[in-house]
Amino acid sequence: MKDKVNLKRAYAVAYKEVRHIWRDPFTLALALGLPLLMVMFFGLAMDFNVHDIHLTAYDSDHSRASRQLLETFESSGYFKLRQAPLAADVTEPLQANQAKAVLVIPPNFGRYIISRQDSPVQVLIDGTDNSTAGVIGGYMSGMQTAANLRLADTSVNPLVTLKSRYLFNPELNSRWFTVPGLSAVVLAIISILLTSLTVAREWEHGSMELLLSTPVHPLEIILGKLAPYVGLGLFAQGLIYCLARFYFGIPFEGSHILFLVGTFLFISSYMALGLLVSVATRQQILAMQFAMMIGMLPNMLLSGFIFPIENMPVFFQYLTAIFPARWFMLVIRGVFLKGTDLFQLVTPLLAMLFMSVFFVTLAVRRFKRDVEP
Amino acid sequence: MKLNPTILGFFKKELVQTLRDKRMRIMLFVMPVIQMTIFGVAISTETRNIKLAAVYQPNDYLMERITQRCYSSQWYVPAKNLTGNDPFKWIQSGQADAVLIAPEKGLTHDAGNAHSTGSTGSGQGGASLQLLIDSSNITKGQAIENYTQAILSQVLGETYHLKNQDPPVRFTVRYLYNPEMKTSVFMVPSVLCMILLMVTFILSSSSIAREKEAGTMETLLSSPATITEIMLGKSLPFVALGMADFPLVIAVAVFGFGVPMRGSVLLLLFCAFIFMCNTVALGVLFSTFVKNLQQSAMGGFLFIFPAIQLSGVLYPVENMPWLLKYCAYLDPIMYFVNLMRNIMLKGGDFQVVAFNAGALVVMGAFAITIAAKRFHQTLN
Repeated sequence: MKDKVNLKRAYAVAYKEVRHIWRDPFTLALALGLPLLMVMFFGLAMDFNVHDIHLTAYDSDHSRASRQLLETFESSGYFKLRQAPLAADVTEPLQANQAKAVLVIPPNFGRYIISRQDSPVQVLIDGTDNSTAGVIGGYMSGMQTAANLRLADTSVNPLVTLKSRYLFNPELNSRWFTVPGLSAVVLAIISILLTSLTVAREWEHGSMELLLSTPVHPLEIILGKLAPYVGLGLFAQGLIYCLARFYFGIPFEGSHILFLVGTFLFISSYMALGLLVSVATRQQILAMQFAMMIGMLPNMLLSGFIFPIENMPVFFQYLTAIFPARWFMLVIRGVFLKGTDLFQLVTPLLAMLFMSVFFVTLAVRRFKRDVEP
Repeated sequence: MKLNPTILGFFKKELVQTLRDKRMRIMLFVMPVIQMTIFGVAISTETRNIKLAAVYQPNDYLMERITQRCYSSQWYVPAKNLTGNDPFKWIQSGQADAVLIAPEKGLTHDAGNAHSTGSTGSGQGGASLQLLIDSSNITKGQAIENYTQAILSQVLGETYHLKNQDPPVRFTVRYLYNPEMKTSVFMVPSVLCMILLMVTFILSSSSIAREKEAGTMETLLSSPATITEIMLGKSLPFVALGMADFPLVIAVAVFGFGVPMRGSVLLLLFCAFIFMCNTVALGVLFSTFVKNLQQSAMGGFLFIFPAIQLSGVLYPVENMPWLLKYCAYLDPIMYFVNLMRNIMLKGGDFQVVAFNAGALVVMGAFAITIAAKRFHQTLN
């Protein structure tokens, strides 16, 4: 075994890998086009400001007040109202997935309002759907205030007004929130998938023995296999950047160099992880299953992309630290929206650097053990 | 009826090939359970642990009360290790999620003034309290405002003994099927669908892709086995594997997490069977388009990622632009999530089950027909 790592040999391996990618336009197109397409599509699709909520209303009062209440709901823009004659079972629309919420106005509602008596209006929310239940519940307090204002003219003038200023996304634009995070998630999956098969494929085809009989050092093989894909990933990120800035109009407050360094470390860490999977499994199908398992769901659910990490139980907050995407999420949201500087991002950058080195080392060591029985 | 020996042979071969590797067995039977456990416990849509900082003079007791009330609620934690004294920087660096900033003369002073003169509302002598919120996560940002507003009204009411004006219109809100809003009840059925899709779709599509890559597909096609036999032999084993996985994961969901099982277990199993047939059919169809495993992996992503995104689990389908809403109708996960939620949590409604299961059947039949056509074409 040669003790010195020769960059020339690593370059040769990289060159061979580039030829591989080049020969397979399908994969190349997917690697570049897919992230762009996904970010574009789902940037458009994700909207957390829920509207058009199907609401079934049972009005057993039919008074002026109850009609006004229904109008309040209708004019809010959040609800699609459907009135139904009172049935024995008011949960029926929820049961049959026809509505997300049900509003039950009690008889004599109007009379109670005039005499200022308590007249509870029942709201039933479909508690099976996590993406909307909480939001609908949140809207209800606002609707209650609006209804009181309209029906009973109780303009609540508080002593102290809370003046909220939303920093970094003043209009609460869903796109600003999702697109940078989405690019992180998509890149992570693409990265891990791209590299997870490369070494396993050589083993399955038997060309690995050939490669190993040459003087190439394992580290050279690993680096050579990584380099072209990292380049590909960086290029894809460049495309996504253009899409985010010029199509979605997302501001970029931070430093481009920081963005580049962060992306580089992030992509490297996932590609190195993919490579590690490939070295460890040596079987393409197994590698693929594995890559999908650790690449797909943890990335989307544990990275803080949609569900904030602070909401999780303490143990899981620490667990998320092993996913590079969790760190990159801080970097990418930071440089896009907040204009965070290097000093504030030291921890995430170091974490990703550490993981890249760690995965590469582990891959090389696994590799060595395989080679020298 | 006698079992077709060719298909039986395929069946055995695929099962042996898939299951002979210990790591694959772990991947198929242990990983889904682990993943479901993690996601079921970890993910919560309720905003908690908001890092709150407050800027006020030491003698401003009203501010003190408000902040203390915030910290003693379950939602806030004090922001620690603040550097410098620029609230904007605290939020920018993530040291705080929100900062309360008292007015110049102190909130106690301003609010006291407003109370004694009887003036309310900002601009009319009322006091105003500034709240800076990190809205880089918009749902969290909105939650912070709502919580803070609620605590503010509560503290003011107590401090100035404002008479408790109950508004005449009062909503009593109840969450049906999941009254405590338990995350596991939300997440487990939906995460389960995603995991099952990944297992069945990837296994079936990569099994054919591997034969193509290794060049053994030609051998298979030139053998006396008919196309139907090859296709069934390549898909049934994975349906079987999926069906072996399903009860395992469901058992963990029900007994481990206490996810209710209000509907019929048999109906659920039947629906799961339809779902697996559907995803395996899609996997087979998909594999007719690829040449090797690398393409199959990238293309698998092309299908699975959108399928998860459009399923309505992460964010509501109702809001999507119309084009994507129609795309969601092609998403098997969406139908199966509907089925799972309806049967497990709501007890099963005939129309819902019939519609969603029917859609899966139609889609699966369509996929397998086209796949068969494409197989014939490659043959000629």
